[in-house]
Amino acid sequence: MKTSTFNTGLIGTVTALFVLFSGWAVYAGEGGVTRIYKNAVTPFEDEKRVDASLASPNSLVLVETRYRENPIWTETRKDKLERFRCSQCHNNKTVAVKGAAEMAHGVIVLDHGSPERPLSCFTCHKEDARDFLEPEAGVKVDMDHAYQLCGQCHFRQKKDWVGGAHGKRISHWVGKRVVKNCTSCHDPHSPLFKKRWPATYSPPYKK
Amino acid sequence: MEPRNKSDCSKEKDIARPQGKRCGRRAFLKGAAKAAALGSAAVLTGCGTELLGPKEALSLRWQEYFKKNYRLMTPEEKKETVRRLERLAKIKNNVDIKMSARPPIDGVLFGYAFNVTRCEGYMECVAACVKENNLDRKTHTQYIRIFEMEHGQMSPDSGEGKFFHEVPVEDHFYMGVQCFHCQNAPCVKACPTKATWMEPDGIVVVDYDWCIGCRYCIAACPYYGRRFNWNDPHVPLNEMTRKQHYLGNRMRTRGQMEKCTFCVQRSREGRLPACAEACPTGARVFGNLLDPDSEIRFVLKHKKVFRFKEDLGTDPKFWYFVD
Amino acid sequence: MMKKPFIKELVAFLKDTVSWSLSGGIGYQLFLCLLAALMMLGVYAYFIQMKLGLSVTNMSDIVSWGFYIANFTFLVGVAAAAVMIILPSYIFKDKDLHKVVIIGELVAIGALVMCLMFVFVDLGAPWNAWHMMPVIGLFNWPTSLLTWDVVVLNGYLVLNLAVPAYILYCHYCNRKPDDRKYRPFVFISIFWAFGIHLVTAFLYQGLPARPFWNNPLMGPRFLASAFAAGPALITVVLVIIDSVTSFKIDARIFNKLRRIIVVSALINLIMLFSEIFKEFYLPTHHSLPAIYLYFGLKGHTSLVPWIWTAIGMNLLGTLTLAFNPGQNNTKVLFPACVLLFLGIWIEKGMGLIIPGLVPSPLGEVVDYAPSLVELGVTVGIFALGVFVVTVLLKPALIIEQRFEAHNGSETV
Repeated sequence: MKTSTFNTGLIGTVTALFVLFSGWAVYAGEGGVTRIYKNAVTPFEDEKRVDASLASPNSLVLVETRYRENPIWTETRKDKLERFRCSQCHNNKTVAVKGAAEMAHGVIVLDHGSPERPLSCFTCHKEDARDFLEPEAGVKVDMDHAYQLCGQCHFRQKKDWVGGAHGKRISHWVGKRVVKNCTSCHDPHSPLFKKRWPATYSPPYKK
Repeated sequence: MEPRNKSDCSKEKDIARPQGKRCGRRAFLKGAAKAAALGSAAVLTGCGTELLGPKEALSLRWQEYFKKNYRLMTPEEKKETVRRLERLAKIKNNVDIKMSARPPIDGVLFGYAFNVTRCEGYMECVAACVKENNLDRKTHTQYIRIFEMEHGQMSPDSGEGKFFHEVPVEDHFYMGVQCFHCQNAPCVKACPTKATWMEPDGIVVVDYDWCIGCRYCIAACPYYGRRFNWNDPHVPLNEMTRKQHYLGNRMRTRGQMEKCTFCVQRSREGRLPACAEACPTGARVFGNLLDPDSEIRFVLKHKKVFRFKEDLGTDPKFWYFVD
Repeated sequence: MMKKPFIKELVAFLKDTVSWSLSGGIGYQLFLCLLAALMMLGVYAYFIQMKLGLSVTNMSDIVSWGFYIANFTFLVGVAAAAVMIILPSYIFKDKDLHKVVIIGELVAIGALVMCLMFVFVDLGAPWNAWHMMPVIGLFNWPTSLLTWDVVVLNGYLVLNLAVPAYILYCHYCNRKPDDRKYRPFVFISIFWAFGIHLVTAFLYQGLPARPFWNNPLMGPRFLASAFAAGPALITVVLVIIDSVTSFKIDARIFNKLRRIIVVSALINLIMLFSEIFKEFYLPTHHSLPAIYLYFGLKGHTSLVPWIWTAIGMNLLGTLTLAFNPGQNNTKVLFPACVLLFLGIWIEKGMGLIIPGLVPSPLGEVVDYAPSLVELGVTVGIFALGVFVVTVLLKPALIIEQRFEAHNGSETV
């Protein structure tokens, strides 16, 4: 009689402990990686923890918008423009070279905006100061900071770009945050990506 | 119980001797011995060319064979095995590799995000991954799979994984799948020898030399994240990536599992994985989940993200999002 | 002083066992030679596999487990089925089945040897197998089901080797085995037999990645099909023994085995129906593997004829054994058991493993059929299993017959 009540008591205790333990295990495990990252609020101190050399491109410019007060840099644009300083031609003097417009601007294909309401040159370029861009009347935007112009219409993409969900970071995930600027990837005059063949393919299953 | 002694047993044997002919038994044994000799000779001649080789290579391979699981090695042992592997690569293929055994960075948990709107099916990521990770060219091993899908379903099942034509196709979108480095990885649980595990920085890695090739982890993975070397992988020497990591892109041999390692040889040095760096449209976001200022955290906070087969409870560290 | 005679007895026992197992009539010798030839074929095929790698099989990253693991899965069940004879004879003290317990255990040994060999040839890096050993390697127990499988299979092999060895040794020396020495192990082996097959079933059942396997019925289904196929094989072996040796099997034994088989086979069919209902009443994405198996998917229909043949053989075998048209005539029992065995072999082997892996986790559908190398190695391993059973059965039967002749048909 005594042993059977003892046995029942023992079994009952063990079962209860097991149930409690499983409940705790399930509760503790809940959330997983989502809970881990949501609880991670201390900034990551790059310099202390990453000791590899982090080279970055030479010519950079500091972006004027930030996400959470963290500086981001982007590539310059002016040094990549072949005929920059548009004011070399576009000034008060007349252009003497024959066919100069074709030579300078012939490669440009303008395909920006919808077919019904396409953009024109002066939608973006400042008519009276050709070295600059003009998001709205009277405002001058440097070519290196073209994102401010693009972001006027494409404000969602700009917000994403500043945060990191749009565009591309150059070669490192840590350290000085250098990202490609808008024109690094998008041709400003016909920004949509063209169709092309893929770099490779997955071969059909052979066996 | 009667006392037992030898004579009783042997008497029993005489009485119960079966009808078999002595000659039959002897002939059979002779034949069996011949066959065994032939068989072992065949085996030896086959293995002979691999067994013999330069003496140093033999000694290095001997030491390599008896080493411990990478996780249990001291830093000196890790350096030793790296040195041996570099030397073996030099002897075998006359190629100078630089192998690292770099430990994880403190305070880092890697996460990855994939922008489904931005992927255009260019497969630059696949090509870069194949090159960076020294994947077998003969079997076209690819850690990353890109699926061309029609609108209406988000599952790769309904997509075409083997497309090869101009991309992007109208009314189709593209989605990439690879190992998702699950926080609750079923492959880690399944491995009988603990040859695969999750490193502190979140990368699920394989100690190739410890793997016995049972392939239980392939059965356990719900995402087709793992690959097996069914034969010796072949990489042309001029295409081999020389900067390697023990847990990452070093050359594997047959009988070993392998998988995406978030380019551990690059990410532990602060560089983006090859796929993220190669993507021309910026559809891939990689970073430290524990850094609230990182891009991956921005994506997780501000974008509508989802994970593949989330109902299986694997807790992958790879999210998909749309613009 | 008592030691010396014991060693001499043991040596005599071993010598006699070996000589009895290798000697016999011309038919027996030819049979052993045939088995040896098939085993050599297996060795040769495995040698090709070792040299060129597992790429000589038709397995791939999608169908990562194939013919080897299919056979392994099925044979674990056959090994476990010895319990269906041990259970009645030891717990219910059934005298008839007690006579053939030893045969059941020896068939189990053969099946276990085959299982371990199939796992070994399936490994991609068998030279690394020591990595799984507890002290010198890393043994991922209890997390990994494979480690459980290793433990239970080897334990069961040891149990099934030790207990019959002890009993046979005692019978050889013409004395009754000491109950206290071996009965506890017999009882352990009863639970252990259920254990080995449940663990093997859990290997598949515990993978949420594979919806075809991830259902709670796998364990019970494995047990039911094992307890149908195993005793069917034992019946076949008994029919052979009855017809070619002087060890006669009474019709009552066949009847009892037949009843065990019928009950298990019927439960197996009920479980099969349950699975089919779940898959096809309201098919989901998770039903694609079953659709692939029974009807084909995206033009891939390689398994369809096999599964329907298997179900047909299963049904025919079960019904024949249930209605017993021959009244336990071995000429009817033999083909019925063979049919049932083959039907379950197809359904539980290839019909379980391949649909579990196809479609792949990303939805790709491929076909799989074993390559010549896989077939060669499989034939070799089956020949090894038959060889082991034959070579163990012959001396065992001789010892049993002698013991009975001396002591009458007493139960041990």
